[in-house]
Amino acid sequence: MEEMDVNSGAQLQIRFITKQEIYAVANVPFSIPQQIDNIQLNKLLNELLRESTDSIKPVEFDFLVEGQLLRLPLIEHLKDCNISTESTIDVEYIERTAAPEPENALLHDDWVGGVQVADKWILTGCYDQSVNIWSTNGKHEVISREHTNIVKDVSWLRPSDPSGGFITVSHDLTGILWDWKPGDGSPTPITVLRGHERGIDSVGVSPNSERLATGAWDTYLKIWSASLDVNDGYEPQIKKQKSAKLSHIPSRTPIHTLKGHKENIVSVDWIDSQLICTASMDHTIKLWDTELCGLQNEIVAEKAFLDASWSNLSRSIIACSADRHIRLYDPRSTEGSICKMVFTSHSLWVSAITWSQTDEHLFMSGSYDECVKLWDSRSPKAPLYDLSGHQGKVLCVDWSNSKLLVSGGTDNSVHIFKNRHNS
Amino acid sequence: MLTRKIKRKLSNYGETVQNEDANSDSSDLTDKLGTNDEDEAPVNEYVDHDTSDEEDIRNTIGNVPMNWYDEYKHIGYDWDGEQIEKGATRDQLDAFLQRIEDPEFWRTVKDPQTGRDVVLSDDDVNLIKRINAQRVPDEGFDEYAPWIEWFTGEVMKMPLRKFPEHKRSFLPSKNEAKQVSKLVHALKMGWIKSNSYYKKLKAKKKDRFYMLWQSDTDAERMRRVHDHIPAPKRFLPGHAESYNPPSEYLFDERELEQWNKQKETPWKRKLHFIPEKYKTLREVPAYPRFIKERFLRCMDLYLCPRGIKLKLTIEPEALVPKLPSPKNLQPFPTFLAIEYKGHDDMIRCIDTDKTGQYLVSGSDDSTIKIWEVNTGRCLKTVETEDVVRSVKWCPNSALSLILIASGNKVILLNPNVGDFLINSKTDSVLRDSPKSDTVISERVRTTVQWQEPSDAEYIKGYRAVLVHFKEVTHVTWHGKGDYFAVVMPDGQNRSVLIGQVSKRRSQLPFTRPKGLVQSVIFHPSKPYLFVATQRHVRVYDLMEQTLVKKLVSNSQWIATMDVHPGGDNLLVGTYDRKVLWFDLDLSTKPYQTLRLHGTAVRGVCYHKRYPLFASCSDDKSLIVSHGMVYNDLMQNPLIVPLKRFEDHKKTNDFGLFNVCFHPLQPWVFSAGADGTIKLYCN
Repeated sequence: MEEMDVNSGAQLQIRFITKQEIYAVANVPFSIPQQIDNIQLNKLLNELLRESTDSIKPVEFDFLVEGQLLRLPLIEHLKDCNISTESTIDVEYIERTAAPEPENALLHDDWVGGVQVADKWILTGCYDQSVNIWSTNGKHEVISREHTNIVKDVSWLRPSDPSGGFITVSHDLTGILWDWKPGDGSPTPITVLRGHERGIDSVGVSPNSERLATGAWDTYLKIWSASLDVNDGYEPQIKKQKSAKLSHIPSRTPIHTLKGHKENIVSVDWIDSQLICTASMDHTIKLWDTELCGLQNEIVAEKAFLDASWSNLSRSIIACSADRHIRLYDPRSTEGSICKMVFTSHSLWVSAITWSQTDEHLFMSGSYDECVKLWDSRSPKAPLYDLSGHQGKVLCVDWSNSKLLVSGGTDNSVHIFKNRHNS
Repeated sequence: MLTRKIKRKLSNYGETVQNEDANSDSSDLTDKLGTNDEDEAPVNEYVDHDTSDEEDIRNTIGNVPMNWYDEYKHIGYDWDGEQIEKGATRDQLDAFLQRIEDPEFWRTVKDPQTGRDVVLSDDDVNLIKRINAQRVPDEGFDEYAPWIEWFTGEVMKMPLRKFPEHKRSFLPSKNEAKQVSKLVHALKMGWIKSNSYYKKLKAKKKDRFYMLWQSDTDAERMRRVHDHIPAPKRFLPGHAESYNPPSEYLFDERELEQWNKQKETPWKRKLHFIPEKYKTLREVPAYPRFIKERFLRCMDLYLCPRGIKLKLTIEPEALVPKLPSPKNLQPFPTFLAIEYKGHDDMIRCIDTDKTGQYLVSGSDDSTIKIWEVNTGRCLKTVETEDVVRSVKWCPNSALSLILIASGNKVILLNPNVGDFLINSKTDSVLRDSPKSDTVISERVRTTVQWQEPSDAEYIKGYRAVLVHFKEVTHVTWHGKGDYFAVVMPDGQNRSVLIGQVSKRRSQLPFTRPKGLVQSVIFHPSKPYLFVATQRHVRVYDLMEQTLVKKLVSNSQWIATMDVHPGGDNLLVGTYDRKVLWFDLDLSTKPYQTLRLHGTAVRGVCYHKRYPLFASCSDDKSLIVSHGMVYNDLMQNPLIVPLKRFEDHKKTNDFGLFNVCFHPLQPWVFSAGADGTIKLYCN
C-alpha cells in the first residue's frame, strides 16, 4: 500500500468481482493509481481478503479486464482495449493458473511422432516404427514393432480407459488397431486399416469410441469402424500388394472416404459423433458431416495449417500454422472475421496444439523452436508459461489427462509436466 | 458688417438700388426709408449693436411675397396692433399724371417689401450709375493705390526662414510615380483602357462583324507583355577586370605573346582585354572600347532573336519505375523455418516430389538423401559412386522415379517413398526392358549404354543405369515424365542426349556442336527444347527438327536456366552475376536484367503456382522475387525483388548451389555449399 501512495498521479475507480465465491470481497469501488500492475493488485486484494476472512495464506490471482488477462499496467491495458478511464472498471480476478512442474522425460530410440495419455498410461509412436506404452512414472512397459515406417500419430480408443485398445497410424499407409490391457505383455494388433494411398498423418477417435477417422497425404479423410472385433468389415479376398510383415494381420477397409482437401490433412478431430473437423496444409479447416458424408462448413485461411484442436468446453477451434501464429476460430460465427484471436509467441513453426480437457481457456502448443507453451485464450500477447526441456523440434503434444502435459519431439524424448492447477 | 447690410439692401430693392453712403449711419438710413418707428424712444439702443431684427421692424409681414397682401388695404401690423396702411394704389392714369407733375418721379422706385414708393437720393443714383458703368461702386475706392511689396522677389542675404527647402519640393513625388506606374501597368495589361480606346471601340461597334470561321474567344496575347523574354545577362566582372588585380591575373610575357598572336582571331582569346594594374582608382584611364562594346551589346540584343527554351526537369526518382510494395505481394517466403542437416559435403542439387511431401538432395559426398519436408527428417540415404551433380524427381505422378546424375552415370532410382502401389508398379514397368527392333546407331552406342542394375544396386533402388562417355552435369525431365534430357558439356557434338524411359533408348538430337552446352530444359507444353550454351539460348522444335529462336544473352557465361510454367518466359542465371528474364513473345533480348547478386548466380527457379521466382548465388544469398506474368499479351511481366536471405555459410568460396520451390506452398528450399538445405516459409 505504501508503494501505491508513492505513485502519485491520476486515479482510477475499480471494483473487484469474482466468480470464485471463497475469494469474494465486498462490492465497493476502490480508487487506485493508474499505473497499478498485477503485483500491486495482488497485494491489495490479499490485504482485503485478510481483513475479511482472516485467511493467512496469500493466494496469487490473475486479473481480467474486459475479458483479457492483465499483463501490462492497468492504464496501458485500458488504452489497448479502448476503455474509458472515467467510469468504474470491473476487475475480475481468478486464481492464477499454477506453473506446471517438470516431472519426467521418457527416452526413446528415435523421434517421437505421436503421444497420448489415458489414465496412467502414455502411448507413444516413434520414428523407429515402434509403438511404446509407458507408465506415467516413467517405466517403459511395452514396445511393439508392427509398422514398417515411421509412426505419425497414436490415439487411445477410450480417452480414460487404456484397456479399450488404441490405434496407431503410420507412413506405411496403414493404421493398426491394437488390443491391450494394462498388465498384459505386448499389445495384439487386431486389424490393419488399409485404404490410404500415401502416409497417414493424423487420426481421431469419435467420442463414443465407435468410429475412427484418419487423414493422410493422399488428401482423403477416411472413416473406419473402431470395433476390436476382427470380422467387422473384414475383406479376406483382396490384398494383392500386401507387405510381407503385415500380411498375417486381418485388414479392414474404410466405411467412407471423404474427398475435398487439396493437400495433406494434418489433424482430425471429432466434434461430436457426427461432425469431424479437419485441418489441412491447403489452408483450410473443414467440418464434415459423417451421416451425410459431405462437407458442412469450411474455414479458409491464408497459411498452411500444421495442427488444430477442437474444444467442447469453449466450442471453438484452435489451429496453428507455418507462419508461427496460433489462431482461434469460432466455426459458428457468421458475421465478421471468423478468426477470433491470434496468439503470437513462438519463433518457428507451431507444429502441435491441444486444448485442455477441463478448462475452457487453457491450451498448450509445441513448436519447432524447441518450446512448449501453456496459453490462456484470454491472454493473446503472451503465454502463461514456457515449458522448456526439449532440445529439438516438438512434434506432438497431449493434454488428455488433465494432470499431465505431455510433449514429444525430435530429441527422442517425451517430456511430462505435472499440472498443479486444479479447476 | 456694413457691406453685408448693403448687399442685403441691394437684393431687397430688386432692379433698382438705393445708393448709400459708405459712411452713412444706420440710424439715418432708417430715416431715409421713412418708416414709422421714430416714436420708438431711444435710437441709440442699436447704435453699437447692430441686431438682425432691425430690418424686420419695417416689414412686419416677414419675408413673404407682397402679392399675398394684394387684397388687403393694410400690410402687416405695427407695434401697437394697428394695421399698417398700404400706400395708395394708383392706376395708369394716376401714374401718368404723376410722371408729368412730379419732378422727382424718375428717381422714385417702389419698395417691394413695404409696397411704398421711395425716392432715391443723389448718392443712390450715383451708385447705380457707377454699377451700370461697371465701375467700382464705392466712389472713394482708390483703384491705383501705391503697391506695397509684402513678399519681395529679391534674395535676401540673411533669409527670414532659416531651414532649407524640403527635399520633396524639388524631387518628383514617388507616390505619384507609383500611382502613375500602376496606371501605366494597368493600361499595358489592358485592365483599364484609355478614352481614345473607348472612342475607337465605340466607332468600331457601329459596324460589327461576326466571325464565321474562326473563334475569337481567346484573348489576344501580347507577346512582349505576357511572354517577356529578358535579355541574357552579362557575366559579372571577375578578378581580371579589376583595376588592381592580383598579379597572377596579369599577363606574363608568354600570355601577352599569345594575346598578340591572336590578333586576327580575337574570338579565340581567353580574355577580350589585357588586365592592367593601377595603384588607385583615380589613375584608371577612360576605357577606350566602352562605346564600341556598348554598341556591340546593343546590336547583339537587337539582332539576335530571343526565344524561350523549354527545359524538361526530370527528377532521377521519376525515371525509376514505380514498383508495388512487397507487402501487397504476399504470400512469399519470409523467414527461415527448417534446416535439413545430414550431408557431409556441398549440396549441388535439390528437388521436391509432386505433393511436396519429400525432398531429394544430391551432394558432393556422392550420396543422395530423401527428406521429409515438414519435419526435416532424413528418410533415406542412397550412396552412389561419384559426385551427384543433378537430381530430378519424375513429374509423372504415376511413376516413382528420381533421375540422378552421378559422375558419368545417370541413374533412374525408385526412392520407395509414398504410395507403395505406385512404387511397385514403377518397379514392374522397369523390370522387363522392351525388346525393340530399331538398331541403335554407332554414334549413340558410343555415347551412352543402358545397363541393368546389379542386385546390390537394385536393393538400393536403382532401376536403370546409363553409362555415358563423359561426365554428366545436368539432367531434366520432360513434363510428361517419359523423356529426359542429359547434358555433358565436354561431349562436343554429342553433348545433349534425350532418353526415353519406356523404350530404354537414347537419341542424339544435334549433329553439330553449337558451343559448350550448359543446360537444357523442355518446354512445359510444346515440343520445344531450350538449349543454353555459353552465350545464347537456342529454342529447338523437336518435332520439326528446326531452330525456332535464338535468345541472345548479354553475358559471358550462362550457368543455369528455368522456364516459366506458362512456357513464354525464361529465367537465366549467369556466372557474371546477372539474372536475365526473357520474354519469348517480346524479343530475343532479355526483357529485364537483374543485377542483385554479388557473385556468380548458380540457381534460378520459378514457382509452379505462385508468381514467384528465386535465384541463388555464390555470395550465399537467396533472393526471392515477384514475377507476375499476365495472360494479357499487352502487359509485360511485373518483376519486383522481394526478399534476400543470407543464412548459409560460405564454404570453399561457394555459397548456394541450387534453389527449389515447394510445389504447392509459397515456400522455397536452398541448397548450400555448407552441406545444409534450408526451407524458408511465409
